[in-house]
Amino acid sequence: MKQITLICAAGMSTSMLVERMKQAANQKGIEVEIRAIANSEFKKYADQTDILLLGPQISYMFDEFKSQYEPKGIKVNVINSVDYGMMNGEKVLLEAIA
Amino acid sequence: MSLNSWTTTLQKYAGKLQANRYLRSVSNGLMSSLPFLIIGAFATLFSSIAWEPYQNFIAPVKDLLGIVTTFTTNIIAVYAVFLIGYRLAESFEKDPVTPGLISLASFLVLTPLAKFDGVSALPLQWLGAQGLFVSIIVGLLASRFYVWIVDRNWTIKMPAGVPPTVAKTFVGLIPAIIVVIAALIISALFQLTSFETIHAFIYSYLQIPLQGLGGSLGGLIIALFVMQTLWLFGIHGAIVVMAVMQPIWISLDLQNLEAFEAGAELPNIIGMGFWSYSANFAPMLGLILLLAFRAKTKQYRQIGKLGLPGAFFGIHEPIVFGIPLVLNPVLAIPYIFTPIICVIIAYICTTAGILPPPNGVYPAFGTPIFASGLILGSIRIALFQLILIPICMLIYYPFFKVLDKQGLKNEKNQEEEEAVAVN
Repeated sequence: MKQITLICAAGMSTSMLVERMKQAANQKGIEVEIRAIANSEFKKYADQTDILLLGPQISYMFDEFKSQYEPKGIKVNVINSVDYGMMNGEKVLLEAIA
Repeated sequence: MSLNSWTTTLQKYAGKLQANRYLRSVSNGLMSSLPFLIIGAFATLFSSIAWEPYQNFIAPVKDLLGIVTTFTTNIIAVYAVFLIGYRLAESFEKDPVTPGLISLASFLVLTPLAKFDGVSALPLQWLGAQGLFVSIIVGLLASRFYVWIVDRNWTIKMPAGVPPTVAKTFVGLIPAIIVVIAALIISALFQLTSFETIHAFIYSYLQIPLQGLGGSLGGLIIALFVMQTLWLFGIHGAIVVMAVMQPIWISLDLQNLEAFEAGAELPNIIGMGFWSYSANFAPMLGLILLLAFRAKTKQYRQIGKLGLPGAFFGIHEPIVFGIPLVLNPVLAIPYIFTPIICVIIAYICTTAGILPPPNGVYPAFGTPIFASGLILGSIRIALFQLILIPICMLIYYPFFKVLDKQGLKNEKNQEEEEAVAVN
């Protein structure tokens, strides 16, 4: 099962998106585990993450996370800001696992 | 320079500032001390609700509640120095417990003991809000010095075969001795000056001036201006600005909390609490309510409804990225100035005595509007938060109209294009 971790400043606004992604996953029968945490907490969850998504408001941390975690086999991406704003869980989920 | 390259440049600098190891250690260290700040603040609140039957009811345990405050918020510098030292060592990928404790030991060495009738005592004066800046400086310096020594391998090496846990203990020994001796020398040097302690020196030459700058209305307006401008470029403005302002605002809040507990006049207006209750809810809610219930553009209506629940809790991202507010020329002006106008109104109302200064309780992120005003000490603050909403709606209204008109036009064009495509 794929594990997706979303990070933002406090993990609050991403947790709203996570709920919608979980709904979309349920409807489509996609088996994933999704969680939202604060960026400072990520180190603890690195072992349990296949895909790491950054909230657009911390996109400036992208290079740092990419260089640190891509060598460890984690796919790192920034969430599209319009999908983020519209809380389009389905699109974010499908793009993440594509 | 084009807008896009501006965005990239700003993101780079904002990222650097926020990712700065030392600033991050201070803000993560202070964040880790939050549970204690909140426990202490609530103990203070519970013991000081001004209602006589309640006071009679809690009279037998009032002193007990006081103990909680004394050993949490009133000695917050002790927690902070350990946590900041811990976080910094962690960022250097060192085992953080020993350097955290070394920071704490150094801080205590620098805090003079007081003697009364043969009893030695640690002066609580320097362990709370007034010691916060010393704890930041000592936490960073002691831990950095530890890392520097360990990196030079000035440690005791155990022969092979010694269990790793034992070897680990000895790694910290020599650095601990050196750092604590350094602290002792600094402590002795300060005793030769008229300040007598590093606490008195830092407090009067660093903490008071910085509190003066950060605690002034001008300082708050500049902080808000930077914060909102960063958001307009899609950067999380609050975490960037808080990396700098949080220590100052927390220390101001703690002074208020100490005064509140003692039943004295609250010395400060501005702090985390003031910023949070006056700038963090109403401006966003004003815009969102317009979008959700007044927009003719379907997309805006939808975004408004999506963002509404979050906005009650101070969460802005759906709107910032959904409209999007990012690089939006129509909304840029009200987005920057609405919270500034709100804090000015709140400041004037506070100086005029209409609103009480916030009691200094830390406004934990995610506390909703109204509730946050109540926690900050007054139903008047809570009601004021609500009164700000229509004011913000009025400020946003003309800009919202322009936005909605443009949105409607775009939507019509799109529909026509789709209709053409279908035909």
